[in-house]
Amino acid sequence: MALLKGTLDVLVLKALSFGPLHGFEIIRWIESGSGGEFAIEAAALLQALHRLEERRLVTAAWAITENNRKARYYSLTPAGRAHLRAESAALRSSVAALRAILDTR
Amino acid sequence: MTAHDEKARRAFDLGVRRPDLARAEADAELAAVLDEQIHHLIAQGLSPNAARAEALRRLGISLPAASAQVHRSAEHRERRMKLHEWLEDLAADLRYAFRTLARSPALTGAAVLTLALAIGANTAIFSAVSAVMLRPLPFADPGRLVMLWEENPDFKWYQQDAAPANMFDWREQVSGFADVAGYPSFMSSTTLTGYGEPRMLASLPVTGNFFTVLGVTPELGRVFREEETWDTSPRTMVLSHRTWRTVFGADRGLIGRTVELGGRPVEVVGVLSPRFAYPGVDADVWLPMRWPPTSRAQVFFRRAHWIKPVARLKPGITLEAANAELQTVVARLQQEYPATNTRMGAGLTPLHEFLVGKTRLPLLVMLGGVAVLLLIACANVANLLLVRAAGRERESAVRLALGAGRGRLFRQALAESAVFAGLGGAAGVALGWWGTRVLTALQPAGMLPVSNIAMSWSVVGYAFAATLLAAVIFGIAPTVWTVRRVPADVLRDEGRSASGTVRARRWGEALLVSQVALALALTLGAGLLVRSYLQLQRVDPGFDSRNVLAVSLSLPGIRYDSTPKVLAFYRELERETRALPGVVAAAVVSGVPLGPPTWSSQFAVQGREPLPAGSEVLHREITGDYQKVMGVKLLRGRPLSEADREDAPPVVLINETLARMYFADQDPVGQRISFDRLPDSTSTWRTIVGVVGDERQRGLSEPARPEFLAPYPQEPRSGMTLVARTAGDPAALAPAVRGSIARLDPKLAITSIRTMDQVRAAALGRDKFLAVLMVSFAGVGLVLGIVGIYGVVAQLARRRTREMGIRLALGARTGQLQWLVVRKGLGLTLVGIGFGVAMALGATKVIRTLLYQVRPADPVTFVLVPVLVLLTAGLASWIPAARASRADPAAVLRAD
Repeated sequence: MALLKGTLDVLVLKALSFGPLHGFEIIRWIESGSGGEFAIEAAALLQALHRLEERRLVTAAWAITENNRKARYYSLTPAGRAHLRAESAALRSSVAALRAILDTR
Repeated sequence: MTAHDEKARRAFDLGVRRPDLARAEADAELAAVLDEQIHHLIAQGLSPNAARAEALRRLGISLPAASAQVHRSAEHRERRMKLHEWLEDLAADLRYAFRTLARSPALTGAAVLTLALAIGANTAIFSAVSAVMLRPLPFADPGRLVMLWEENPDFKWYQQDAAPANMFDWREQVSGFADVAGYPSFMSSTTLTGYGEPRMLASLPVTGNFFTVLGVTPELGRVFREEETWDTSPRTMVLSHRTWRTVFGADRGLIGRTVELGGRPVEVVGVLSPRFAYPGVDADVWLPMRWPPTSRAQVFFRRAHWIKPVARLKPGITLEAANAELQTVVARLQQEYPATNTRMGAGLTPLHEFLVGKTRLPLLVMLGGVAVLLLIACANVANLLLVRAAGRERESAVRLALGAGRGRLFRQALAESAVFAGLGGAAGVALGWWGTRVLTALQPAGMLPVSNIAMSWSVVGYAFAATLLAAVIFGIAPTVWTVRRVPADVLRDEGRSASGTVRARRWGEALLVSQVALALALTLGAGLLVRSYLQLQRVDPGFDSRNVLAVSLSLPGIRYDSTPKVLAFYRELERETRALPGVVAAAVVSGVPLGPPTWSSQFAVQGREPLPAGSEVLHREITGDYQKVMGVKLLRGRPLSEADREDAPPVVLINETLARMYFADQDPVGQRISFDRLPDSTSTWRTIVGVVGDERQRGLSEPARPEFLAPYPQEPRSGMTLVARTAGDPAALAPAVRGSIARLDPKLAITSIRTMDQVRAAALGRDKFLAVLMVSFAGVGLVLGIVGIYGVVAQLARRRTREMGIRLALGARTGQLQWLVVRKGLGLTLVGIGFGVAMALGATKVIRTLLYQVRPADPVTFVLVPVLVLLTAGLASWIPAARASRADPAAVLRAD
């Protein structure tokens, strides 16, 4: 299932709110969190991460994974955390509104 | 790359990666994600090949396409972050600069103040100059306006006022003139009654076409019409905007109304615009000439020269063409009117040049003064920044070794300079705004022919740019030297004798020498002006200005319409004043010396050949006690007395200069003279009854002119000045005199009340103003120079403290050690003095005409100033030297 437009950034920030993750860990977190409903493509994710980095919502640093491989770890900045709060509230209310409309008989 | 690298990069502000690095990193990241996925799939039981295929399938697009996508987003990120970081860095640099500057508040404060003073002074003076010399006159097409003048080599007259009849002939006969208007060369005053207290208004009569020729449109009502030149039209007046506002409360209904002016009803027909200003003429009210039309044909209309004619050239007519035509007309008039015009020439000058030409030199001198001050301030700030930046050489080297961008280092140096220039500039603009107002308020009367000076923003920009440039050049110079060197060398030097420091020191010394030279040249110029002012102050004006009050009055002709009434008023006033307590003596005079000019004429001595043409002498009318009041000595004969009444035999006093010039080998007393060069049967012959001492009439720098002093009742006039010698403070007498005048005539306005000391000081106003201004500029420049010397020597002393300790331990005497350091300060000062004296010798020639009995190369100034500067510099050098040489050798040697 494809992701709603504009929701990927919020999901990425949400994933990072529990601690630094690298790209594949973020993909896994979103896929498992959605019960496998959302499939994230690697290129799309990296672009989203670059976008967030550019806006200083996340910072990145190369580090070694548990499996001794190199990976670029992303973590949330204070600005990113604030952005997540605001965006998820907005998303929640728009989802509620969507549901209200769709549930109308 | 490792996380460590990334952190270090950010921590040390090493700048953002290049685009190719960003692309490589994005590819590595994409590969890492795929790698993780493949390992994950393998862990779930897929074969390595199947896992790879599955991972690529889940990519959704081809690997090159995915790679291209992340390249774009990574590059975009780097570009945007670079800008962002640049701005952040800038903010950080500025913060850092502020913090370092705040750490040495005295030094920073001094430098910012220096800049502010220099920028402020430049702004104020340049604004005045541009207002006077650069701004066009506030008239329509002012470039086509010219001033016409007459000259007569026989009288040594050049660019003098014209006779009205000649003006009219030029107007009618020179076809290159579109029109010619005229106004008198002196202001009048007239009494306004009916609006509060009787009030004296400065008035100027002009020809009816005056405002039309200037191309001025009024704020309200109309300007004069051409026919109002003649007295066949009713009495009208045009108000200045200021008078309309302050006297008439900006009443728009005033137009068409009649007010009482000079005792007569006069209709207000117009109000001028607030932008109208005629250089050198500050009239409250403008009146039409109202000449009788019959006067055009009369000889006095061509004999008396008292009109300033302003012509407007027709479009396309050049100055040369108009002048050529004027010369033809002048030659014709010389033929036509031999009695008055035989040797009368004429010419024309662009109006702006004619009106503001005289103020040019003092303004240019002030301009030169502030420009030099700006240079000194720039050198000072440059020196300060140089020292700071050189001190940071090691820090720069460390950061360079750690991989910091060179641009970043430059920017940091630049930021510091910018903060300096910014603070100094802001304070300077404020100071300049204030200075412009102060300059306008403090300028002696008539020094600047304009009354409103607006601050010129182009000047602010210019001064600001100059200081910024100096700050930038010298702020980053040491950084340039540092980045060119291998950091390891700098670090190995241990900051002890780094070559950048040596170079900065040498540059600093060069700057200091030029600073001292400039300051000295400025001080020499200021010194000359001060000497000249002191000479002028010592000039004996020929009268004793202490304890004399002078009250000028003008009786309105409508109420004082006969000589007996005028004489009675002044006689009564003199008597009343004499009776006031504290009054030693009182008299009435037609004009005080050093005041407004009085009239002049030629004369004849009975029984002698006519005197050569051009033998002009001044005239004043006095009452008997005038010499007693003014402390002027009677040299021969008798003084005037109350017996010299209007019906007594005509008599006159002459001054010493007149006696010397025209009665060198004779006794003038008893001889008879006439005020006409070629007397006829109608001429009055007056007997010289006495010779009195000279008073300088026209200025302290001008020797006394030959002068007649006639008894006032025999030459009566309505405008006179009461002079009274007091036992105590003359100003304290003013209220009592006002009271007497109000008792004698409650409707009479007083033109002015001044003490003679004030009159004398006002005569020196321009010289004092210029001297004070230049001395302040020079003072600031000198202080900066001396502080600079102190700084250099103190630095030197610090560097050599250890060496001094060793020498002291080896038995050197303190004096010898001090000399080692003082020598440096004195040496730099001497070089500066050498250059400064050379500069001043060249430059002071320019101010020759502003100097009174002081040569441009005045030996007193040129010896005294350098010696004083050298002594001060010596003292400034000795202080740090003494401190260094007093150090305990043991402590110094242990310290390292």
